[in-house]
Amino acid sequence: MIAVQNLVKIYGKFKAVDGVSLNVEPGEIHGFLGPNGAGKTTTMRMIAGLLKPTSGRIVVNHHDMEREPEAAKGSLGFIPDRPFIYDKLTAGEFLTFHAGLYGMTNGQVAGRVDEMLELFELTQWKNELIESFSHGMKQRLVMSSAFFHRPKAVAVDEPMVGLDPRGARLIKDVFRRMSERGVAILMSTHTLEVAQEMCHRVSIIQKGHIIAQGTVDEVKQIAGSTTDEHLTAVFLKLTGGSGLQEIDEL
Amino acid sequence: MSSDASAPVVSGFSRTGTFAFPYLLLPSFWAARNRMQRRERGDSLRGLLFGGIGIVVVGALFYGAYWLTRQLAAYEEFGDYLLRLGLSWLFLSFLAFLAFSGIVTALSSFFLSDDLRLLMTSPIAARRLFAARFTRTLGSASWMVVIFMAPVLAGVGVGRCAPLAFYLTAAATVVPFAVIPVALGSACTLFVVNVFPARRARDLLMLMGLVFAAGIVLLLRFIQPERLLRVESLPDITDFFATLQSPITPLLPSFWAGEALFAGIQGSVDWLHQSALWTTAGVFTVLLAGAHERWHFAGYSRSQESPKTRFAKFRALDAVAAALPLSPVRKQLLVKDVKVFLRDVSQWVQLLPLLALVLLYLYNFQVLDLERMAFIGSFVKNIYAFVNLGMAGFVMATVAVRFVFPAVSAEGSAFWIIRTSPISMHDFLWSKFWTALVPVLVFTEVLTIAANQLLGVDPFLKVVAAGAIVMMTFALVGLATGLGARYPRFGADATQAAGSYGGVMFMIVAVLLIIVVIALLGWPSSIYMMSKTGLARFRLTPVRQAIIVACFSAVVAICMTTWRVAMRSGVRALDEMRK
Repeated sequence: MIAVQNLVKIYGKFKAVDGVSLNVEPGEIHGFLGPNGAGKTTTMRMIAGLLKPTSGRIVVNHHDMEREPEAAKGSLGFIPDRPFIYDKLTAGEFLTFHAGLYGMTNGQVAGRVDEMLELFELTQWKNELIESFSHGMKQRLVMSSAFFHRPKAVAVDEPMVGLDPRGARLIKDVFRRMSERGVAILMSTHTLEVAQEMCHRVSIIQKGHIIAQGTVDEVKQIAGSTTDEHLTAVFLKLTGGSGLQEIDEL
Repeated sequence: MSSDASAPVVSGFSRTGTFAFPYLLLPSFWAARNRMQRRERGDSLRGLLFGGIGIVVVGALFYGAYWLTRQLAAYEEFGDYLLRLGLSWLFLSFLAFLAFSGIVTALSSFFLSDDLRLLMTSPIAARRLFAARFTRTLGSASWMVVIFMAPVLAGVGVGRCAPLAFYLTAAATVVPFAVIPVALGSACTLFVVNVFPARRARDLLMLMGLVFAAGIVLLLRFIQPERLLRVESLPDITDFFATLQSPITPLLPSFWAGEALFAGIQGSVDWLHQSALWTTAGVFTVLLAGAHERWHFAGYSRSQESPKTRFAKFRALDAVAAALPLSPVRKQLLVKDVKVFLRDVSQWVQLLPLLALVLLYLYNFQVLDLERMAFIGSFVKNIYAFVNLGMAGFVMATVAVRFVFPAVSAEGSAFWIIRTSPISMHDFLWSKFWTALVPVLVFTEVLTIAANQLLGVDPFLKVVAAGAIVMMTFALVGLATGLGARYPRFGADATQAAGSYGGVMFMIVAVLLIIVVIALLGWPSSIYMMSKTGLARFRLTPVRQAIIVACFSAVVAICMTTWRVAMRSGVRALDEMRK
């Protein structure tokens, strides 16, 4: 599970995240939505332990990120929006190295590397340098590393960017299967169709504040929309982009 | 919500989590191994060139140290004194270099390196991360010093017939000696990144670079080595050595290292100074580890803030561009290139050490008193005019390979913008050429004219050198631009692009061109200078005049051909990308 309480991040005089609280329970896929610059990525980076919050608390699988960063990170899989991978390593080497970072022993690793490469359809690229991979292949490799150590919680920032329909379908299937196995998934995305299709609950953030939180239907109620209205329309209503929608409807 | 340390962290796998810190260095080794296994075009040429240069430099250092040590050995006690002094000075100069290098390298390896995004989200203890990053910082900051010192100390050892234990002492001295300044530099970076807003930290480090460059100039000027050239100042020799000695205090690690090594030469062990080195290195490392554990995450977090825009309103540039007789497209390309360059501190800060060396070079010409050599003074001066030309040529080639050659590669993943715009590749590449030509020409022309003026060379040679610089600038900047377009490395940074196959090719051709130009100008110039002596056998006959004109014309033809052919080849290569 991922629990965030009153999270604040201030850059100089700018409050990027202002009192964000959310809970992602085991088995839940939680959509984290918001317009550009709303504070999504900053929040995700604080949850992953990349940024120090100005105040607030982050707990991952009962481990406080501030007090027990190693244990918290060890139980979390993180997929950043702009992932770093060592270009001069092969896919197999990268996953092996990743396993070592999470303290896995050699006996456990070899089989898991093959398993994950097969799951993410990268088996034939196991011994190829990552620098020769397409964007989508790199994305799938990063995802395989995030799930490699069987984390109980996953934070993923913009998972569908750059993926072809087959890749997107694969990722959705993986997320669903992980969710069924009790993994808590916090997913920041701009793709509202994906959020509507996959998320059990969503949080919408704007200017650093959570402005709506709940199931998709609950969020629609908050926005005063009907239940058959698409999440895109609800999102635009809540975030002040309804003018754009009207232009679309012309 | 309670925190439960005993909760299972990873299901399915037991987390041993006990890999020692060298595990974190594995990607570098694997990447190096993969790089060696997958050879690229030009690897052999590059290996041969750099390997050959390396062997020559190492050999020269070894022989120079050996020769000097043998000479000093002839003066018994005075020689010993000078050797101790020399060792201390050697270490003192490296102390400053290592501290500065530690500051810059620590900024990269502890705060800016891309792989930190992966490592910081992994369950790695702060101490393990520190140990791995400090090892990397130490290696990156000190490898050059170690490579330089090894042949020098070996030369000293062989020159004094030192026992085998001396070489062990040398290794045991160099290691803690490198740790101390690098730890200090890393601590300085940790402080700067935490205390100042992250957006200012890079500026401050740049300032430190300037201070360091100025410090080197001051240090070398402080000892005024040219005083040794003046016979009339020989009675002041004791003052000279007093000056040399003054900054070397027994409190500095350079002094301890010098003493420890001198004891090693004599077959004994200086436990006092060895202990001082090791305990200081140990204490500094432990203190730095503690500071890292306490402040690194806060600093890393701050270092991710977006940097403040530099030269956001660069109106002078816009005004200059507007006044230039260029098409709107070329104006925009020029403004874009200049702004991108000026806003990237990591690029232009590399010019500072070069600038410091050039200033030092010019200052040395100013203080060099060649008049006291009545008969050969003017001859030496005129020879120096060509040494100057060679020096300016090499400075030009260095600047070109580092800043002009990567100009096309620097477009990187944004090159599609140019390729999909209604701009011809001809316009694009020529814009790159003119943007680079003006600063390189001004810089090298000023360097050459100032040096020749300070030396007081013959006016004829001043004109020849100034003209030659114009020709060489067109040729070398054109060559760098053209080859940079023919062998681009869009995914690489500027340093990697400069060291690529095309970069090495450029350096080889550039050096050959400089040698040919100097030979073609030097010979006819000497004929002309000899004729000014008035001696009948040096008279300027019509044949000799024809030779002078032919040689000068050949220089113009070679430079112009190199320029035009390289640019045409570059444009063709860019056009062929569509195929």
